[in-house]
Amino acid sequence: MSSDGTALRHNALVYESADEYLARAVPFLKAGIEAGEGAVVAHTKPGLAMMREALGPEAARVTFVDVSGAYTRPARTLAAYHEVYVEQLRKTPTLRAVADVQFGPDPNEWDLWTGYEAVFNRSFGHLPAWVLCSYDANGTPGPIIEGVWQTHPEVVAGDSWNSSDLYEDPDQLLRRITPAPDPLTGLRAIPFGRGAEDLREQLARELAADKLSEAQTLDLLLAVTEIANNTMQHGGGIQEVRVGRAGGRFVCEIVDRGDGFDDPAAGYLAPRAGIGTGLWVARQLTWRIEFFHSPTGFTTRIWL
Amino acid sequence: MIAAESGDSDACRKLVEAFLPAIGDLARSFKNSKVERLELLQEGVAGLLVAARRYDATLNTPFWAYASFWVRKAMQELVAELTRPVALSDRAVRELAQIRRARSEHLQMHGVEPTTDELSRSTGLKPAQLERLQATERIPRSTQEQLTDGDEATATIGDRIVDPAAEQAFQQVLDALEIREVRDLTEQLDERERIVIRAHYGLGQDAQTLSEIGGELGLTAERARQIEAGALSKLRAALSQSAPVGGATT
Repeated sequence: MSSDGTALRHNALVYESADEYLARAVPFLKAGIEAGEGAVVAHTKPGLAMMREALGPEAARVTFVDVSGAYTRPARTLAAYHEVYVEQLRKTPTLRAVADVQFGPDPNEWDLWTGYEAVFNRSFGHLPAWVLCSYDANGTPGPIIEGVWQTHPEVVAGDSWNSSDLYEDPDQLLRRITPAPDPLTGLRAIPFGRGAEDLREQLARELAADKLSEAQTLDLLLAVTEIANNTMQHGGGIQEVRVGRAGGRFVCEIVDRGDGFDDPAAGYLAPRAGIGTGLWVARQLTWRIEFFHSPTGFTTRIWL
Repeated sequence: MIAAESGDSDACRKLVEAFLPAIGDLARSFKNSKVERLELLQEGVAGLLVAARRYDATLNTPFWAYASFWVRKAMQELVAELTRPVALSDRAVRELAQIRRARSEHLQMHGVEPTTDELSRSTGLKPAQLERLQATERIPRSTQEQLTDGDEATATIGDRIVDPAAEQAFQQVLDALEIREVRDLTEQLDERERIVIRAHYGLGQDAQTLSEIGGELGLTAERARQIEAGALSKLRAALSQSAPVGGATT
C-alpha cells in the first residue's frame, strides 16, 4: 500500500539504452517473482523478445503482452491493461508490471497521453499492483519526459529512484490540460420517449438515416444506454437529446435535469466494488465523452 | 477513416486498399532487411489501423503524414524482432556456417537457391534442424537476391516481378484483415439474442417492433424484450469485468 492510501504504485523508468532498461526492469520483475507476485511485461515485439531472453528461465512465469496496437484511445488502453492485470490478479495476490508507453510524434496529442498517465493513478488506484512505465529517453521529446515526472510519483532515472517534485494531482492535471468543450450549433433535438429503450429506437433511426455502420450503431446504442441509465438514476431524468455531425463525427448530446458532477476522471475508473461501470463502458465504445454544464443543463456529449 | 477507427470491416478494408500502395512503398525501404515483403505489408497494415484508431482529424494533421509514422514503426519493430542477434551455441554457429557454405556452393553450381532437402543432403542436417537454424539467421530467399546491371546493383528479383507478387501479397493482407482486425460485439451473443438485437435496431435490416420479432420467433413481445435485456447485460458485462475481490484488497 502506497503512502496516499491507494494499493497502486505507479512509477516510471526513463532509460538511455536497452542495457539500462534491462538492468532496471529485470531485477524489478525478478524480485517480485521471488516474493510470489505476478509479473507482466508490456512492450512492442522486439522489446518483448529482449525481455524474454534477459529473464531466462524466469520468463516462463511472466505474462508478455504486445502493446504495439494498444495505445489508440486512453479509455481503450486502460481497458486493455485492466483486462491483463485482472487476469493476472486471479492467479497472484499482487503483481508487478513493466509497461512501455507508446507516445506518437504529433505534439497535438501529447497532452492526451499525459492525461492517460495521470488518470492511470486513479483508474487503477485500487489494484495491488506496482507498475513501472518505461520511456526511452533517446528520441522522446522533452515535453513528454516532463509529463512523466508530472504523472508518476516516483521516477527511476540513472541509478536512483527519485520522488518527483513535479508530480501533480491527477484531477488537477486533467482539468489543466482538458480544453473546455465548444458549443456545437449544428445539432438538432430528437424525441427520446420515456426510457432507454425508446431512446435506443429513436437513435437507431437517426443512425440508419446517417448510414452509420452496424458496428458503430451498436456501439453508440450501448453507450447511450449507459448514459441514459445514469441520467435517470442520478441526474433527475433526460431533459433533451440532440444529435448531428461535428468534425466529421456523429455526436449525441444528452442533457439531464440534475446538478451534474465535476469529476475529470469520470468513466476512466476501472470497475471495482462501490462504483458504477456505466461510464467506463460508454467510454470504451466511443471516441470521446465530455461532461459539462451548458445553458440547457448538465450535458453529456458523446462523440462516435 | 472514422468508421475504420471503430472497427467497421468494410471501412477497414477500404482504408487498407487506399493506402496499401503507400505501405508497399514504405516496405521497399526495408528490402535489405531480410524480412519477407508479405510480413512487412501485414505489419504495415497493423500500423495503419493503429493510426486510424488514434487519428484525430480535428488536430489538422494530414492522415498519411500521421499514419506513416505508425506504419514505419510497425515495420521497424518487426525487422528489429526478426533480425535481432540471437545467442547461439558454438555448435549452432558451426552448423550455420556449414549451411552458408552449402548454399553458396549450390548457388554457384546451379544458379538457383537450394531446396531444404538439397541443403539437408549436402550438410547432413535434418530438415527441421535446418529450418530452426535458418530462422535464427533468416537467410534471404531468391526473390530478394540483388540483380545487377554491369557492376551496379539495381533491384531485387522480387522488385522485377513486383506487380503479380504485390497483387497477391496485397490480397493476402486484405484476407488476413478480415480475420484479425474486425471487432464484432455481437459475437458475444447467442443466435437468438443476436436476432432480437439486430431486428429491433435495424442492424443490416429494417427495424422491427418487439411484437413483430416475437411473432417471428414464436415468443411474446415481453419475452423478446427480456431476451434483449439479457443481451445488453451480457455485452455490458463483457466490457466491465472487475478485479477479483481477494486480489484487490490484498
